[in-house]
Amino acid sequence: MKAPTIDYLAFAPILATLGGSLLVIAFALARASFVQRVVLPGLALVSIAVAAAFAVITWETGDQTTIIEGALAVDALALGFSLLVYAAGIGAIALSLRSEIARDAGRGEYYALLLASITGMTILVAAENLVTLFVGFELLSIPLYVMCAAAVRDERSLESGLKYLIVGSVGSATLLYGLAMIYGATGSTDFAGISAAIGTGVDATDPLLLSGIALAITGLAFKASVAPFHQWTPDVYEGAPTPVTAFMAVATKIAAFGVILRLFDDALLSTQLQWGPALAALCWVTIIVGNVGAIGQSSLKRMLAWSGVAQAGYLLAGIVVGTRLGAEAVFFYLAVYLLMNIAAFAVVIARERVSEHGDGLRSLERLGEASPWLAWPMTIAMLGLAGFPLTAGFFGKFQLINATVSGSYESLAIAIVIGSMISLAYYLRVIAVMWMSPREIEIPAAPGRASRKVRPAEGWSPEAGAAAQPEVTAVAVLCAVLVLAIGIFPDPLFDVARDVGSSLAGFL
Amino acid sequence: MAEVLFFLAAALAIGTALAIVLVQNPFYSVLALILNLIALAILFLLLNAEFLAAAQVVVYAGAVMVLYIFVTAYVGGSDQPVIPEGGVLRTIAPFFAAAIFIELSIAIVGSGLTMLDSSGAEISAGFGSPAQIGELLLSRFLVPFEAASYLLLITAVGAIVLAQRRRGLEEAEL
Repeated sequence: MKAPTIDYLAFAPILATLGGSLLVIAFALARASFVQRVVLPGLALVSIAVAAAFAVITWETGDQTTIIEGALAVDALALGFSLLVYAAGIGAIALSLRSEIARDAGRGEYYALLLASITGMTILVAAENLVTLFVGFELLSIPLYVMCAAAVRDERSLESGLKYLIVGSVGSATLLYGLAMIYGATGSTDFAGISAAIGTGVDATDPLLLSGIALAITGLAFKASVAPFHQWTPDVYEGAPTPVTAFMAVATKIAAFGVILRLFDDALLSTQLQWGPALAALCWVTIIVGNVGAIGQSSLKRMLAWSGVAQAGYLLAGIVVGTRLGAEAVFFYLAVYLLMNIAAFAVVIARERVSEHGDGLRSLERLGEASPWLAWPMTIAMLGLAGFPLTAGFFGKFQLINATVSGSYESLAIAIVIGSMISLAYYLRVIAVMWMSPREIEIPAAPGRASRKVRPAEGWSPEAGAAAQPEVTAVAVLCAVLVLAIGIFPDPLFDVARDVGSSLAGFL
Repeated sequence: MAEVLFFLAAALAIGTALAIVLVQNPFYSVLALILNLIALAILFLLLNAEFLAAAQVVVYAGAVMVLYIFVTAYVGGSDQPVIPEGGVLRTIAPFFAAAIFIELSIAIVGSGLTMLDSSGAEISAGFGSPAQIGELLLSRFLVPFEAASYLLLITAVGAIVLAQRRRGLEEAEL
C-alpha cells in the first residue's frame, strides 16, 4: 500500500487556518491581558492572511486536477470562494475585538472556533467528493452553533444556539440522506464519477437519484436560508451575538452557494433539466417571502436576516440557469453581498453598544447629523442591497438578470426585479430614519399590530461618536468605499468572477 | 438463512424505529434505539460489513447509548407532551410527512425491485475488513478522516465554551 501524495502548496490555505486555530488554542493558555487582547486576534488575522496569500499564489484558471486522491479541488472556484470567506473572517475578527462575546466565550476558544468554521467552509467549497463535502459541512456548522450560544449574559443567545443546532441538524441529516441516495444511484462518491455515471449507466430520471438530489437541495437550502427552509433565520440572527451574526450571515451563505454551485453545476449538471424547475420555484418563493418578511421588522438584525433570505433567492437564480454566466454572477453577487452586509452589521454593532435601543431601527435615529462616518456606510450598504446604480449591488443584480435572461429563465429576471422593488420599502426606511429629521417617523407595523409612533432618542452620549470604536468604523467605511469603487469600476471583480467560472468544466 | 435473517432484522429495525418516536416514556425510547442499532448491525453483517457491524454494536449500542440511558435516567421524563397541541404546523405536518414517505418509498422500493433478479454488487475478497477500511481512511479518504478528527477537537473546545455558562461570570472578567 502506498501513501497518497499530498501537494502541500495546494493544501496550504486550508492548513494555514487549521494550524492557526490550534496555535490560538495553545496561546490562549497564557492569561496575560496583552496575549488575550492583542496576540490571539493577531494570530487569527495572521493565519487568515497567510491562507489568503497562499490562495492568491496558487490561483490558476481553468479546470484543475484534484489533490489528495480526489478529495479536494484547488481551482479558481474553490480559491475564489475561500478568499471571500477569509474576507468575512477578517471582518468578523475586527468586529469582535472589543465585543463582549469574545471575552465571555474566552478569547482563545472564540477565535479558534471562528478559524475552525472558516476551515470547514474552505474545505466545503473545495470538496470534490461527497464524504469531504459532508465533513466540511459539519466543520462549518458545529463551531457556529457554539458561537451563537456563547454569550453568557444573554438568554436569547442560548435560545439562538439551540434553535440553530436543532434546525441545522435536521438540515445536515437531510443532506446526508440525499448524498447517500446519490451515491446509491451512481455508485460513486467522487463528483467526477457521479457526473460520468449519469447518462452512461444511470438514467437522469432515475427515482433514486432524483430523490437524492431533492433531499440534498433541502439540506443545503437550510444552510443557505432559502425559503421555505428559512424560518430559523430571523430568530437565530437576532439572538446570536452581532459579530457572530455578521460572520454567519455572509460566510455561511458564501460557503453554501459555493458548494451548491460545485455540486449542481459540476457533478449534477447533466440532470439540470430535472432540478432546474424545482430550484426556480424555490427561487420565486424565497424572493417573495424574504422581501415581504423584511417589511415591518423593527429590529435591524431581523431585517437583515429577512433581507438575507431575499438575497439567497436572487443568488439561487444564478444557480438555476446552469451556465458559466450564472456561476460568474453568483460569485460576483456574493462578493458585493459580503461587503454590503459587513458594512451594515458594523454599523449595527457600533450603534448597539451605545444606544438604548439595542439593534432596533430607532438606534439609528438622526445618525446622519450625529456621526456621518457611520451613517454614510449604512446608507451606501442599504442602497447597494437595494441595487441602486453607482453601487456594486447594481452590477450584482444586473449580472444575475443578464444570466437568467441569456439562460432563458426570463421569469426569474422578473422575480428579481419585483423583489428589488419590494425591498426598497425597508432599505429606504433605514436611510430615512438616519437622515430625515422629523421628530416623528411612522414605522409601518407588521400585520396584526397597531402602528406605532416613534419619538427620537433623547440626548446624545459622547461615546456614541465614531472615534470611540475606530476598528468598527474602519470596517464599515472600508466596505462602503469598496462597494462604491466596485460600483463605479467593476472590471477587476468581473475578471476574478470570470476565472471562477472557468473552473467549471461542464459549461459550454 | 440470509433471507430469513434479513426480514427479521428489517422488521425489527422498522418496528423499533417507530417505537422510538411513538413511545411516550423517553427511557423506553432509548431502549428501542439500542434495539434499532443492533438490528442495523445485523443488516450490516448481511452486507459483508463485519467491521462496521462490530463497531456499531460496541460503540453505539454499547458505549454511546449507555450515556443516553444515564442522561434520561438522571434528568427523567417530563409530564409535558413533547409536541404542544394545536397549531397550523401540527395540522399540515402529517401531509408533508406522508408526501415524503411516498416519495422515498417510490425511490427506494422502485430501485430495489429492479434489482430482484440480479445477484447484487460484486465485492472483492476482504471487502469490509478492518485492513481495507483502514487503508481507505489513510489513502482515499485521508482528508475527510483528518478533518473529522479536527472536528472532534473543535467540538471539545465548543463543549468547554458552553460548560463555562454554568461556572458563572466571575472568571469571565479579564
